[in-house]
Amino acid sequence: MIHLKKEETKAMVAVHGWSGILLGLLLYAVVLTGTVAVFAHEIGAWSAGHVARESIFEKPIDATVRRLTAMTPPQYHEAVNLFEIGDHGLGAFFHRHELDAEGAPTESGIYYQLDNTGRINRTVQGTDEEVFGPRNDDALSSFLVDTHVRLHVPNPWGLLLTGILGLAMLVAAISGVLIHRHLFKDIFTLRRRASPVLVDRDKHSVAGTWSLPFAFILAFTGSFFSFFGTIGVPVVAMAAFSGDVEALSEAVFGNPGPADPRPVAIGNLDRITADAISRTGEAPTFLAIEKFGRADATVTSFHNPKASDIEPVALLYNGATATFVRAKPTVGTTPSAGGTLAGIMGPLHFGNFAGILSRAIWFGLGFAMCYVTFTGMRLWVVRRKDEARSLAWLERTLTVVTFGLPFGLTASAAAFLVTMPMGSAVFWTPAAFLIASAGAILAGVVAPSNDRLTQLLKVATGAVMIVLPLLRLFVSGGPGWNEAIAADQPIIAALDVAFVVAGIWLVRGARTTESVPRRRTATLGAAAEA
Amino acid sequence: MPLWLPGGAAGIDNLVFPLVFAPLIWAILFFHACLDRSIARVALVAAALFLIHGGLVASRFIGEAPAAEKAQ
Repeated sequence: MIHLKKEETKAMVAVHGWSGILLGLLLYAVVLTGTVAVFAHEIGAWSAGHVARESIFEKPIDATVRRLTAMTPPQYHEAVNLFEIGDHGLGAFFHRHELDAEGAPTESGIYYQLDNTGRINRTVQGTDEEVFGPRNDDALSSFLVDTHVRLHVPNPWGLLLTGILGLAMLVAAISGVLIHRHLFKDIFTLRRRASPVLVDRDKHSVAGTWSLPFAFILAFTGSFFSFFGTIGVPVVAMAAFSGDVEALSEAVFGNPGPADPRPVAIGNLDRITADAISRTGEAPTFLAIEKFGRADATVTSFHNPKASDIEPVALLYNGATATFVRAKPTVGTTPSAGGTLAGIMGPLHFGNFAGILSRAIWFGLGFAMCYVTFTGMRLWVVRRKDEARSLAWLERTLTVVTFGLPFGLTASAAAFLVTMPMGSAVFWTPAAFLIASAGAILAGVVAPSNDRLTQLLKVATGAVMIVLPLLRLFVSGGPGWNEAIAADQPIIAALDVAFVVAGIWLVRGARTTESVPRRRTATLGAAAEA
Repeated sequence: MPLWLPGGAAGIDNLVFPLVFAPLIWAILFFHACLDRSIARVALVAAALFLIHGGLVASRFIGEAPAAEKAQ
C-alpha cells in the first residue's frame, strides 16, 4: 500500500473532500445520467416500442442509397454516412467537408431519415451540428445522452464542463486510493451495528473502494472524450500541423492512397454489407463512404468489438468495385499502440465490449458511483453542519439534486410516452424534466424537514416509475410482452419489470425513512467526528 | 509531445498519446503540486515543462522542427 506522511495524508483528505463537494452535485448528475445512458439503446427500444428484428444492414440498402443519391444535389456527394436510427431504420447523411465561420472543420449536407421499409420520414439540411438533434421517436434517449455528455450547455462549454467534472472525479479517485491506509481491509469492513454515521462511512468506503478502478477508468475516458475535440485536437494540430485540424484528422483517421477523381458510380453496397457480416458475424454499426462517386472511393464498415476482444472492428472496402481491401484499426492505417489505445477508449467508457453483461456491470458500478458521490457529500455536510447555518441548506440542496434528478428523469420518460404519439416528444421530454425539477426545488423550499423532503421525492419517483409501463402500453400504444418477446425484444418486458420493482423499492424505502427514529439525524453530527 | 514522441508503427503514436493521456498528465502535475512541500520546486517543474514545450511549438512555427510532417 502507499503510505503517505501524516501531512500528506491530511492534504489528500482535503483534496478528496473538496474535489467532491465543489463539483459533486454536477458530477452526480453526469454519473447518474451516464449510468442510465449505458442502456440508452434499450431505453430507446422500450420507450418507442421497437419490434423490427433485422438490422437495416441485413436488408438490401443499395437501391435505397442510389435513390437518395439521385435526389441529392451534387455538391453533397463528397461523402455519405449510413447508420441505423429508430426501429432499425436508416439514417443517411450526404455531405461535404468545409470550414465554418470560425475556420473549424465541419460537415454540411442533407440528412435523410428513413423507416425500416425504406420510406423517407424526414429530410434535414444543414451542418452536422444542426441536423443531428433529437427525433420524436428517440427524444428520451437523446435527452439522457445529451444531459450526460454536456449537461445541455452549448458546445464547447458543455463539453469543457463535463471534462472538468471528469478531472474532479479523477482527483477524487486517486486521492481516495492514497488516503486508504488499509485498502484491502476497507473493502470488507461494514460495521452494521455501529453508530449511524459510522455505518454511512463504512458504506461510502466499501462502495467507493470496490468501484475505485471503475471510477478511475470512467473519469479518465470521460475527460478524454470531453477534451478530445474541444482542446486536445486543436492543441495537437497546432503543435504538429501548424493548426491545420483537417491535416491531423487525415493523418489519424484517413485512408491514404493515390487520388483518382474520375467519376465512377459507387459499387454494390449490399455486397459490402453481406461481406462485412460474413467476416465479423454481425451487422455494421456504421458505414462511412469517402470520395463518393469517384474511382478512389472507400467504404469503411465499423463493428462492435468481437466476443473475445475489447477493440472495435473496422473493415476497409474499395468503394468503386465493392471489394474487400483489409481489416484496419479504427484509428491509423496499420495496427499500432496509439491506434489500439484510442480504439479501446470508447468500449471502456460505454462498457459495450461484451454485450449486455458488460453493460449490466457498468450500470451497477455506475450506480455505485452515484451512491459514493451522494454519501461522500452527505458525510462532508453532516460533519460541518453545526459550524454554519448555510450548510443545512446545502444538505437540503443535496437532497433536492440526489432525489429530484431521478424524479425529473422519470417525469421526462412519462412525458415522452404521453406525447410521442402526438409528435411533440422533442419539446415535452425536456420540458417535463424542467417542470419536475422546479417541483423538486419548490418541495426543497417548503418541506418541513430534510427527511420529509427525501420521503416525498422518493415516493413521487417511485409512483411515476410504477406508472411508466402502463403509460407505455395504454397511452403510447407500445407492444405487449408477448409481441415484444416474439420480436426478440425481451428488454421491453425486462424494463417494465425493472421500473415496477424499482418503484416499489423506492416507495417502501420512503416508508422505512419515515420509521427511522429522528435521533439518527441528531447523532449523525457527533458520530461523524468519530 | 507530438514533436518529440516517436510515431510508432502507424506514425500516429506521437499524435494520439498526448490526446489520450492529457487527463493523466494533468493529474500527475496536480498531485505533484499537492504533495510536494516545496512550492518553488512545483513552480520550477511547471515552468520547465512549459518552456520546453512552448519552445518546441515556437520552433515548429518558425520552421526549425518539421518532425511531425516528416513522420507522415
